[in-house]
Amino acid sequence: MKDTFNNVVIYNGYPLSLVVAVTFHSAILALLLFLQSSRSADVMELVQPTVVKALLVQENPQVANERVRLKRQQQQQQRAREQEQAQQAAEAERQRQEQARAEEQRKARELASLRQRQEKERLDAEQLQREQETLAEEQRRQRELVEAQRQQEVRDRETQREREAAEAAAAEIASSEFEMVQSGTALIQQLVQESWSRPPSARNGMRAVLQMRLLPTGELVDVSVTQSSGDPAFDRSAENAVYGAAPFRELQALPINIFNENFRSLSLIFEPEDLLN
Amino acid sequence: MNEGITPTLLILEASLPVQLVLLTLLGLSIVSWVMIFQRWMVLSAALKGVLSFEHRFWSGMDLSQLYKEGSQMQKEAIPAVGMENIFRAGFKEFMRLRQQPSMDKEAIMEGAQRAMRVAYSREEEKLEKHLPFLATVASVSVYIGLFGTVIGIMNSFIGLASQAQVTMQVIAPDIAEALIATAMGLFVAIPAVVVYNRYSATVDNITSSYVTFTDEFSSILHRQIHSD
Repeated sequence: MKDTFNNVVIYNGYPLSLVVAVTFHSAILALLLFLQSSRSADVMELVQPTVVKALLVQENPQVANERVRLKRQQQQQQRAREQEQAQQAAEAERQRQEQARAEEQRKARELASLRQRQEKERLDAEQLQREQETLAEEQRRQRELVEAQRQQEVRDRETQREREAAEAAAAEIASSEFEMVQSGTALIQQLVQESWSRPPSARNGMRAVLQMRLLPTGELVDVSVTQSSGDPAFDRSAENAVYGAAPFRELQALPINIFNENFRSLSLIFEPEDLLN
Repeated sequence: MNEGITPTLLILEASLPVQLVLLTLLGLSIVSWVMIFQRWMVLSAALKGVLSFEHRFWSGMDLSQLYKEGSQMQKEAIPAVGMENIFRAGFKEFMRLRQQPSMDKEAIMEGAQRAMRVAYSREEEKLEKHLPFLATVASVSVYIGLFGTVIGIMNSFIGLASQAQVTMQVIAPDIAEALIATAMGLFVAIPAVVVYNRYSATVDNITSSYVTFTDEFSSILHRQIHSD
């Protein structure tokens, strides 16, 4: 009877529904995955970006600057070591002098005691007086010693402070220089990247290196291909990008020494990284 | 080969709140689809039951004969469906009250109608079960998805705050990740809305046919009680 099935199913049927619902969801998921994996590369090729990535790598001012900073740090450490050695030498010298002085003192004391013994019987009063004198002298010597030590300490502390101040100043200069070079590099990179329109023959893995020479005013003197990509159109497009992006007026703001170190001659590497073919 | 953004990767690498939102929505989706299928079976069976019972009822069969057939079916452990339940409740009460000698006619009619009303509201309850859940899913899942999107976009902007240069490549994955939550919310909500509206129309349809049947049946009983 047809109603039998209805009657069995009518007020429950949850297990069946659950199975159907889960199957339904898995089917949708599988469909999505299938569509995603079967999306072919031919379709993707049609999407072509107009602006492509230009990378600054070779003779990268950032790297160069980092190297300079490291070298400077090493020099500082070297200087600190030398200073320390000099201090140690001075200390040794001072100790030697002190020993010599103590030796002298000892001899003098021995002599004095010898004389004392000789003249003990006849010069009681004088002996007393002399004893007092030696005592006073010894006290004076000790005072001098203490004074010298204190002065040495003060000198040490001052040199230490000076050295720390110099280190901090050097580090600050280095970091601000580093930032300046970084921002300048980023600027050039961005401008060139914006003005680069990649030829249709460009492919991933192509690589052209261009050398550009700049004036401190930010103007471009010339640009030359130092390493061709093998595709003349690609090289020319890179050249045109640099010409189109120049002049880099913002470089005027840089101090001249930083400019000379980092930007006077600059290499740019052109690599279309974001292509899909 | 460049690595494109695929939806699967986006979901797997999404931030924790977005993933939680997506999981919640997936759960809601599965449960609501269970309800959808289960209701579908219940409602279509009820519709068929209405048609077949009305056919039998108006075929000129004797009412006590019909009642006996129903009892026979119940003995075979086949539960009665919808309209038949109303008929059986009313007829049983009618026969029982009629056998009592001191009952007047109006009281018998009252009793039968009351029994049918009770059976009717029980049947309606069975039909409308789970429909409020579907309505809730329909209205809430959109907001849940929107919540995931807002959280995702907020996270991406918090991440952007620390970057000097912002490019499309930096923003795009985060925004896409956030938008998946809204898409999922809509995916859950749309079937729930459609099905809720459709099923509540069907339930209205069935219950109104129950009401009509109740009226017709009580008029038959009325005729019967006044004929003798």
